[in-house]
Amino acid sequence: MFHNNCKLRLIILFFLLFPLLSGCWDSQEIEQRATVLAIGIDVVDSKAPKEDEISHLKNQFPIPNEQMIKLTAQIAIPGRIPLGPEQTGGAEKPVLVMEVVGHTLDDAILNLQQELADKLFLGHLRIIVLNEKIAKRGTQRFNDFLKRNPEIRRTASLVVSKEPAAKYMKLSPELERVPSLYLADMVDNLTALGKFPPSFIGLFWAILSSKGQDPILPYLALKKGSNIQLNGFAYFHGDRMVGKTSPSEIGVYMSIIGIKKGGYGAFTKIPGKEEMVLVRAVSRNTKIKVRIKDGNPHVDIKVRYESEIDEKYSPTISLLKSKMIRDIDKQASKDTAKSIRDLIKKTQKTKSDIFGFGEHFRAKLPSYWNGKIKTKENWDRFYKDLTFDVHVETNIHRVGMKAK
Amino acid sequence: MSLFRNTKKRKLNKIKAKPLVPSKVMEEHSDTPTSSSLKETEELIKEILGENDDLDIKYFKIFGQYNAALFYFPNLVNIEIINIDILKPLMYVPEHLIGREKPLPQLIDLILNEALYHCQARIESNIEKLIEVLLRGETVICIDGIQEAIHIGTRSIEKRSIAQPETEQVILGPREGFIENIATNIALLRYRLPTADFQVKTMNIGRLTKSTVAYCYLKGIANETVIKEVEKRLSEIDIDAIMDVGYLEQFIEDNPFSPFPQTQSTERPDRTVANLIEGRVAILVDGSPFALMVPVVFNQFYQTTEDYSSRFLMGSFVRMARILALVFSLVFPSLYVSLISFNPELLPTEFAVAVAGGRAGVPFPAVFEVLIIEVAMEVLREATVRLPKQVGGALSIVGVLVIGQAAVEAGLSSPITVVVIAITTIGSFATPAYSAAFALRMLRFPIMIMAGIFGLYGVVIGIIFIFNHMLSLKSFGVPYMAPVSPEDYQGVKDVVFRSPLWWMPKRPNFLHPDNRNRLKKNNNTVLKHSKIGNDQREGLNNGGSERNHNTSNIDNLN
Amino acid sequence: MGDPKEITTLQTSTILISTIIGVGVLPLPLFAVRAGDTGAPLVTLSGIALAAIGLFIITVLGMRHPEKTIITYSQEILGKWMGRFCSLFVIFFFLILTGLASREFGEVVVSAVLRETPLEVTVIVMLLLACLSCRNNINVFSYIHNFYVPMILAPAMIVVVLSLKNANVLYLRPLIGTNFYDMFTGMLTISALFQGTFIITMIIPSMKTPNKALKASFWGISISGGLYLLLVIATVAVFGPEEIKQIFWPTLELARTTTVPGNILQRLDVIFLAVWVTAVFTTLFSSYFFTIHSIKEICHLKDHKMLSYFILPFVFILAMVPKDILQLYEVIQYVGRAGLLITIFYPGSLLLIDFIKGWRKKKSVSQQL
Repeated sequence: MFHNNCKLRLIILFFLLFPLLSGCWDSQEIEQRATVLAIGIDVVDSKAPKEDEISHLKNQFPIPNEQMIKLTAQIAIPGRIPLGPEQTGGAEKPVLVMEVVGHTLDDAILNLQQELADKLFLGHLRIIVLNEKIAKRGTQRFNDFLKRNPEIRRTASLVVSKEPAAKYMKLSPELERVPSLYLADMVDNLTALGKFPPSFIGLFWAILSSKGQDPILPYLALKKGSNIQLNGFAYFHGDRMVGKTSPSEIGVYMSIIGIKKGGYGAFTKIPGKEEMVLVRAVSRNTKIKVRIKDGNPHVDIKVRYESEIDEKYSPTISLLKSKMIRDIDKQASKDTAKSIRDLIKKTQKTKSDIFGFGEHFRAKLPSYWNGKIKTKENWDRFYKDLTFDVHVETNIHRVGMKAK
Repeated sequence: MSLFRNTKKRKLNKIKAKPLVPSKVMEEHSDTPTSSSLKETEELIKEILGENDDLDIKYFKIFGQYNAALFYFPNLVNIEIINIDILKPLMYVPEHLIGREKPLPQLIDLILNEALYHCQARIESNIEKLIEVLLRGETVICIDGIQEAIHIGTRSIEKRSIAQPETEQVILGPREGFIENIATNIALLRYRLPTADFQVKTMNIGRLTKSTVAYCYLKGIANETVIKEVEKRLSEIDIDAIMDVGYLEQFIEDNPFSPFPQTQSTERPDRTVANLIEGRVAILVDGSPFALMVPVVFNQFYQTTEDYSSRFLMGSFVRMARILALVFSLVFPSLYVSLISFNPELLPTEFAVAVAGGRAGVPFPAVFEVLIIEVAMEVLREATVRLPKQVGGALSIVGVLVIGQAAVEAGLSSPITVVVIAITTIGSFATPAYSAAFALRMLRFPIMIMAGIFGLYGVVIGIIFIFNHMLSLKSFGVPYMAPVSPEDYQGVKDVVFRSPLWWMPKRPNFLHPDNRNRLKKNNNTVLKHSKIGNDQREGLNNGGSERNHNTSNIDNLN
Repeated sequence: MGDPKEITTLQTSTILISTIIGVGVLPLPLFAVRAGDTGAPLVTLSGIALAAIGLFIITVLGMRHPEKTIITYSQEILGKWMGRFCSLFVIFFFLILTGLASREFGEVVVSAVLRETPLEVTVIVMLLLACLSCRNNINVFSYIHNFYVPMILAPAMIVVVLSLKNANVLYLRPLIGTNFYDMFTGMLTISALFQGTFIITMIIPSMKTPNKALKASFWGISISGGLYLLLVIATVAVFGPEEIKQIFWPTLELARTTTVPGNILQRLDVIFLAVWVTAVFTTLFSSYFFTIHSIKEICHLKDHKMLSYFILPFVFILAMVPKDILQLYEVIQYVGRAGLLITIFYPGSLLLIDFIKGWRKKKSVSQQL
């Protein structure tokens, strides 16, 4: 009995497993993959080359209506990036930058593949740079491809750039050998430093699909040389970018949505004097209450700051008395409240509820939401006329190591 | 017992009808009694043993009266004993016998009881038996006119001294190892277990070698069904030669097709005793310096005696490192293959790009690269084992340093591959049990191939397959993966983490020992103190000194 | 069966846990959110409750017949032929369930990890694994489940815990969904994910102490149900209901969004999938085991080893019936809900009849006295 079974087992195993041995279907060696590290998307300028017929024949299939895009990809060249501690780097660039055009993102990537011997690999795509112009036309048409493709990381960064995205792909920063890694690390570290709320493509999508909130993205600008600056954030209405803010407004935004870690400072005038001190937020605590006031939605925003004085501008005054600190508290609160109001008003103009007040209404007042709002479009109308109260409280606890 | 899989319905049983005893002459004389005539007996022995030049026959007269002959193999016996303890009292009439009548019928009694200075003297009248003991190194005395012969244990075999075990070295712990001689080995066990419960049963297996096989256990602790099963399986063995305990292993294991060892062999008496105390049965074979322990469970193979003799934190830490090494030696190369060829997105970006650079010149896919180097490594390992020590060291340096370096420079493999293989190989050396390490080494290859086909998914399928196999194995009725699954609370304390001894008051249940208590609850007052805290101990200092010193035993501790 | 009754209470619980947690983990939040929007956790909870009732019924039924499986005692309760007829349905249902689960598994693997590998190959490898493991007896069956449970629970818990830093509590409110009809069907769909609990009817006869079966099934369903609930809560809190509706496998997406602190592994999803293979294996293993052992009992066969191979092509063909993933999920939801008739209604009526029979017997006995 035992021997019988054993033979049979072997025979069956052979018949079933032999076909398996014939294929390593998915095996693709790491050095044979064209690892795309970053892509930048621009609008096509008139000089760009015409697209060849790769994913669609001329006149046979409807060509997507929207304007063509230019995709610039940064691809790692195996062998140029040495293993182990860096030796004195050669003059050769470790990455290959390629430009293609296409009607959609996938179309462009197919076109790119057509120009490459190795298979494109998007598993290490760390950052996608959208040019401002393309962001203003809407991001939805890229999202579909990115969501469908299992290689794309949901933790990749998506940023909006002031300059053409292609420029960012061609940068050669001094600090890191691989340019896109520098870019990606920079965006990641901004969150860690408290300079920007958490921002990655998965979060962008989640906010985009939610009914009561509009997304934001970091807005980058190029400075002298190959330096990149976080130049505020781009805010969206639906999937279209509708405006940008100044960098200091990021801090304001973070305080409204209730990011605990503070990183921004602001000059505050000492009441009664003409001098300024730099008050930096250490941590914040935000409470948002929503209610119906006179039949209209109303939001109460309460922010509590824990701050410290980083720098005093003038030697003529001294910060000796606690009363003075309390005064600065009040002044700082007043200033912040004003900037919060300004920012909300600014976004109300473009109907982009980047603070997610709509979500608060949906979550906390479900009957009101279901009865009157229900859809994103309705909420946009309500948001435009949303009334709100802002209450800010600042507590300066530390003044640093200087006594005066 | 349906618990035991009787896969060993061996073919041998069917053929048993044919005469298998190889010695035809012995077969013919199997029932022949010895003759009372010295001459006839002598001729018979000579006929059976042929013209063996190393057989000595010494003729002499007992008490100067009776003709007798002494048969022995001078290479097997201790000549001095023959001279002083046998020949002297027989030839030179002892003082108390002088003047006494020595009639022929009472001669044997007289010799055995009053003349011979030897405790191992017995009477035998079957020629076959006599030949057998003669071949084992005893001395046979035949007396003219008496049918029975006397045989005396004069065996003296050269044996090596007890040395440190080569295969299982420890830093903390006893240094003794078994040797080839079974008598010494049993003595080593008895020395550690001076208890009446320690039982040794012997039998002879092997038609040519007639090896003495002993199975030992602690009565009252070992499971009766296991003991019976061991006896049954051993007695079913019918083979011409047993050269080593490994021969037995292949006959008594439950699933011979499994790559996993289902018995554990050890060179260490202390380990054997520890296992006996847990309720296992040890099997010893004359001529083999290894003891075989059954039943086993898998976690035994990465444990050493040192885990227990060192303090528990140290033991646990080392054991965890060993488990890690075990895992490495099984899956590391296949994980590497699947990361490189299937899921490079799992690697950190910087590293992935760098690895791609390292592999850029290698012409083969990662699977083949790893397979080739693995095979080379196996060859190298085998070569170093067989070579004399002095050459072996040189070879391993040449192999590892020169070939590895050259392979990387020639573009045959990437530096990362060499690192991976090195870690894997080192990992497989860290497993204390050679046979278990070997099983995992072997299983590494199918998993690598699976990884080459399906990537990580293949690795997981392979591992599930292996685990399922291990979970379905049984060793003498004990599930192989016990005490993890089936779970056993007492046993789990000693799997990954080696719990302090006072945490494990009971023997593991999975061996079904009848007697489960290891620690006696009330008498371990010392433990109580150390658990509560050191400060309390000072006040109760005399509690510790009341130990029951049995001074009379000290004399025996030579 | 001739095997000694060795299965402990803990093993029974672990069998239930690892059987329940399977392919269903991935699309679960999608089902829940489709049915109840932000009320997804509530839908899940009610689904678990319904499944628990079903489990309670079969456990009680099993404890009333501690020597028999559902195949044998249904013949006793309903009469020989009627019982067999109903058992045929049960067997066929589990055959389909095995096929669909393996197909769903194949679809996930093919669309998320091994994109070039033929679907058939991934499915057949998995089925083969289950088939080979089914050759063992019921004790080994329980050892295998027992062994894998920690490996199934741990990664899911790790993903849940790590993902919480991206969570947004607002997405969980309001707790009650909007459409009650949808919520009801959603509850049915979710409790259909628990149909593997039927395996307990096979386990009880081999338990050391069948009296403790109820305790075992309580722990089994609370741990696996708890994990399901946690997963739903975590995914909804991270993605929000609207985003979940756009994703096939929100749980997998959750693993993709999660990063390990320290960046040791850049992506958790592949690891999660790899471990999830284990969970799928245990689920398939159970339903496969149930199928062949039921067939064995209904046909009074002595040996199940050959049967295990014999069933394989049928399961494979069943698995290949749905044309694409969308059709697959339609079929799964449909079969799942219909299956509740078999896994809850059928044993429920069995129990009822059994009670009535027992009551009558008592009555007639007392009358005779």
